[in-house]
Amino acid sequence: MKGSLNEVMTLAAKAARGAGAPPAQAAQFGQAAVQHLCAGRSEKELRGALEALPEGPILSLPLLLADADEGFVESEGFEGLARSYVEALPFKASLDADMMLRCDRAVPARRKFLARCRLSNDLMELWCGLAARLLVPESDSSRRSGAGAGLTDND
Amino acid sequence: MKDHLDTPPQMPLRPPGDVMRLSRMGSMFPTRLSFLRSMIWRLVAERAVIDRPVWEMDAEGFGHAVYTLALGGHRYSLVAVSSDLPQELRTDRVIATAWDSAYVLYDGVPGPDDITRIISNAPLQEAGRFCERDLVLSRANKSVRLFSNVVDALRSGRQPDARMIRDVGYLMRTTAVYGNGKFGIADRALIADRPGLEGPFAAEMLTVWLIRHFTHDLVEHVGGASLDRALKRHLGIGNATGLGMAPFLVNHPVLLNNWMMARETALSRVRALDALNAAQIARLGVLAARASGHLTEWRVPDADHQARIDRLSQDWKATQALLSPDALSRQRPLEAAMQAVTACSEDVQELMVALLIEPFGELVDGLSACMADPYGPFAPPLADTSTLRNQIAKHCDWALEPDYEAHEACGQFWYVSEAKQEPRLGLRFEDPGAELESPLDIGRRIKALHDALPEQGQSVSAFLADHPEHALAVQRVTLAERYPYAEIRDNLIATTCLPIDMLRCKLSFFGASKFDPKSDRWTRITLCQGAPLADELDAAADDWWLPVFAA
Repeated sequence: MKGSLNEVMTLAAKAARGAGAPPAQAAQFGQAAVQHLCAGRSEKELRGALEALPEGPILSLPLLLADADEGFVESEGFEGLARSYVEALPFKASLDADMMLRCDRAVPARRKFLARCRLSNDLMELWCGLAARLLVPESDSSRRSGAGAGLTDND
Repeated sequence: MKDHLDTPPQMPLRPPGDVMRLSRMGSMFPTRLSFLRSMIWRLVAERAVIDRPVWEMDAEGFGHAVYTLALGGHRYSLVAVSSDLPQELRTDRVIATAWDSAYVLYDGVPGPDDITRIISNAPLQEAGRFCERDLVLSRANKSVRLFSNVVDALRSGRQPDARMIRDVGYLMRTTAVYGNGKFGIADRALIADRPGLEGPFAAEMLTVWLIRHFTHDLVEHVGGASLDRALKRHLGIGNATGLGMAPFLVNHPVLLNNWMMARETALSRVRALDALNAAQIARLGVLAARASGHLTEWRVPDADHQARIDRLSQDWKATQALLSPDALSRQRPLEAAMQAVTACSEDVQELMVALLIEPFGELVDGLSACMADPYGPFAPPLADTSTLRNQIAKHCDWALEPDYEAHEACGQFWYVSEAKQEPRLGLRFEDPGAELESPLDIGRRIKALHDALPEQGQSVSAFLADHPEHALAVQRVTLAERYPYAEIRDNLIATTCLPIDMLRCKLSFFGASKFDPKSDRWTRITLCQGAPLADELDAAADDWWLPVFAA
């Protein structure tokens, strides 16, 4: 399956929330997941990160990148995902072969956008299933309170 | 900011604590910085020419059409598909599955294969699949009574009922305008640096204006005659908007800040003007009178809202004295006008803001270039939890006031329904699903963060390692210094929270007028009313702020 970067990012973030990540970390996972897939990195790490919740890289990687301008990034077996997180930062940042981080928080990241993002049907199904955990089943009362409720539209 | 090299004098900005309140946001009017206006300037500047290379419509107006134009060195096309919709399927709700018409703004000029693909997919909307050449996806339903009235009149060889055109204001209303990657269409990032499409929602605004043009062509085709030009200009494009728009403002704090900052900066610049010339004084008088006429023509079925409009209309008549030639000939007259309305309702104040900005394009139009968000949240990290605490006290005191344990302070919750993933607002103590609440409770989260901060300072990352649930609140507090207008400074889960206020704020930035609330959570509006027609793209035509019926 291939999709727009925004829909893949949004789905990945919802999947992370559905799997138990707090909202900020889930959003960061979504941003990193897009970079990860666009770079052709292993989907296995994306699955592993979700399986590791409520611990693991979805919680630890944002902390490692939160305030350090440089230093060693301990990726705990998620090296590709760590690189994806760095590439998703809004400012200039790089992670070298030895996992040394260098940031310049005053300079915006210069990102090249791909038109499409590819992911396997299996991963998409996994994400859709996790994201669906956030959805509230339809009820009469919720339907009545939705936008457009209670009106004839043939006016 | 693009105009930083020669920044005009300005008065202090209105404080975020005043501006970012729901009740004020729910009183906003469109301004010359609204996105539709920016798009029209651009079309005027380029003297854009709209072509219609394809018109495959049967006598009843069902079929498809293609419109093309050049903008900023690129060609774009609107593919419009008109279908025969049974009456029982016509609904404005997001959960609808069929519409009178469907649209795609296409990147380039579509060939036969792309047209065929779009004809198959566009009517399916969310159930269709789109590609990166498809920039915007939309759909619209007819205002059946007006569309039929216009067709009947034209077929009878006369012009339609002008009063009905004035009262309804559009032939069709859109019920969604999707951009930025939805359902496989192009990401905004792919087109965000194209001339003419840099501004927020620019591609969507172009689409809306072209849809309006299509509705004019369609009714003339079915009616078999031309509409009077003045009637046509007053026919905008309607829109029905619900809760889906509200979370956007919460989830895009930097964008919200940039919109508000541009508008407030514009106001502060005109307030700083020492004196006005005769032409400016005359112009303000004309606009004030036009605003009065617009309020008189703004009629809605909801009694409460109509009463509010009537009050504003009355108050505005009194306020117009502040804009008399005498008053405007004094020193710093616009500052005096703003000072004078501080005792008036927020409706009056916000109408005055929009009015005062309108005549001063040379002072404020450059600010429209600052309303996008090309970089995302970009704020330096906070040193430690003591700094975090200080930042909360300095910028987020509004969040600490409510007692979120009290029922009325947490009586509602935002969630996403299984039905078409529609955002909704539930009653926490009555409706199921509160455990799946969407994180729009920013104020409550900031207070919870504040209460959890340790007495002894520690690094923010050490704190978050123990308290990962507070990461969102930390992010928002971190943004507060650099982006002062980023946060709606109200409790969005309180029983008293009215989502319609958020909708009006966002829609006013689009350029919407004639707000017609159908409940406290969805509204109809009119876009492009009075805007230039496709063959009127000259500078003189860009004078349609709060239009009045001119037929």
